[in-house]
Amino acid sequence: MTSLSDVLDGLVSDVDAVFLFGPNGSFYERFGEIENVVVVGPENTVDAETFVELPIPFADVQDRIRFGIEGAMDDELVGEGDVVACFGSLFADDADFVSRVRVDESMRSGIYDLFTNSRADPAVISDVFEVALELGRKGQKGKPVGALFVVGDAGKVMNKSRPLSYNPFEKSHVHVGDPIVNVMLKEFSRLDGAFVISDSGKIVSAYRYLEPSAEGVDIPKGLGARHMAGGAITRDTNATAIVLSESDGLVRAFKSGELILELDPEAY
Amino acid sequence: MFGPLQLALDRLFGTVSIRLWLALGIVAAGVVAAYVVMGITSRLLDRIGVVETIEGTSFERTTNEFGTSTARIITQLSGGFTLLVAVFLAVTVADLRFADLFWGTVAVFLPRLFAALVVLVVGVVVADKIELLVSERLRGVKLPEIGLLPLLAKYSVLFVAVLIALSQIGVAVLALIVLLAAYALALIVFTALATKDLLASGTAGVYLLLHQPYSIGDEVTIGGRHGIVQEVDLLVTRIENDGKEYVVPNRTVLRDGIVRVRDV
Repeated sequence: MTSLSDVLDGLVSDVDAVFLFGPNGSFYERFGEIENVVVVGPENTVDAETFVELPIPFADVQDRIRFGIEGAMDDELVGEGDVVACFGSLFADDADFVSRVRVDESMRSGIYDLFTNSRADPAVISDVFEVALELGRKGQKGKPVGALFVVGDAGKVMNKSRPLSYNPFEKSHVHVGDPIVNVMLKEFSRLDGAFVISDSGKIVSAYRYLEPSAEGVDIPKGLGARHMAGGAITRDTNATAIVLSESDGLVRAFKSGELILELDPEAY
Repeated sequence: MFGPLQLALDRLFGTVSIRLWLALGIVAAGVVAAYVVMGITSRLLDRIGVVETIEGTSFERTTNEFGTSTARIITQLSGGFTLLVAVFLAVTVADLRFADLFWGTVAVFLPRLFAALVVLVVGVVVADKIELLVSERLRGVKLPEIGLLPLLAKYSVLFVAVLIALSQIGVAVLALIVLLAAYALALIVFTALATKDLLASGTAGVYLLLHQPYSIGDEVTIGGRHGIVQEVDLLVTRIENDGKEYVVPNRTVLRDGIVRVRDV
């Protein structure tokens, strides 16, 4: 006769590290004696020694865990073959699940890389994500819209594109992340073409027609010209493209010509 | 039957002059006034948020260890001062001539002492608070030497407070003021020296941001560095060419001029 706690013991026995996703202070305290505790969350609220920052609150738990483990792999906190126990919250705000995960090199999907090793500031990328997600959730005046944001390496992107019309952001000094700018971006999203955003988050231009060489860009079939342009420009430059699809409403991120991340705005 | 007793009482009241009675009354009123002042002060301190503001400063913690608080010390000071004024008034009214000279000096000295004490307490609290604020701002900088800055700020404030307090009670502070002036001068000179380049780049940056002689994506040559502009901010311009990123201070942009490559 095995009791429930025996089953739980099996889940957490012989783990090399413990991952806590967004723990509160008292929950974290209970892990005081245990070695190799990694805290993953939007902010290091518990002053943990090892901390991986979550740039967006991934609604998908798999994405969240994958991001945390990738971050820890990058900081060499865990390595291939390690077994980790993940504690986090699914439904309530308190920790309510535990998951046993084997660390594997194939888990490197590049999500962590997308934020931390891009040219642009991680904060800028997550700000743009937020705008895209909100735009996808609400649309333009209730109608679904598409949008294409090219973030980082703006000088090169500008040289690989041409203006479709006058640039509304000419001689302005607006940065993504300001609340008023998000409204502006939403309004301008009805314009055709791409938004170009610099490494530090300055909105360089709207209305840009991207002219990368699209040869050999491998993006999933069924995606349109906007995704093709976004994917291709990231292969030609060191930029990151964040694309909101008009047809299926998903937000996708491209880097080095490859699709890295796919998020459903409705889940956020 | 009551005769002798009445006589004795009469004589007693007779010998004690009316002035003395008046003086006693003033002292009694002074005690009441002191309590009122203490009440008002403590409520005032509470209302303008002094109590919360100074929470956590080391002075406050020290006073807490002695079973009191900064607010209570200030309250007690104001109460004591009111009482002292009352006593002084009483003595004047009672016309105790033998102490005239002594009280004359005290009358001048007491308010100053009171002001000095208040300045000292306020100075210590403000110094602690500034130390806290500065160290909080610098918490992101993980350098052991950075701990010196909050202390420096704290002792600067303390020094000025002590200076004011001492000059209040009439101690010669000329030498200390000279010291303060030298310190302030050194601070200004060093700050000017240290931020000379930053200021020059900053003013040039304001021009560049306002007029945008070149913008992101333009091909330019600045001070021998050729490439594509990636970023323009207040202090620097970033130019990139063949995987090399030049971070050019905006100062050089104005000094050396800009070459914009229009067409190849």
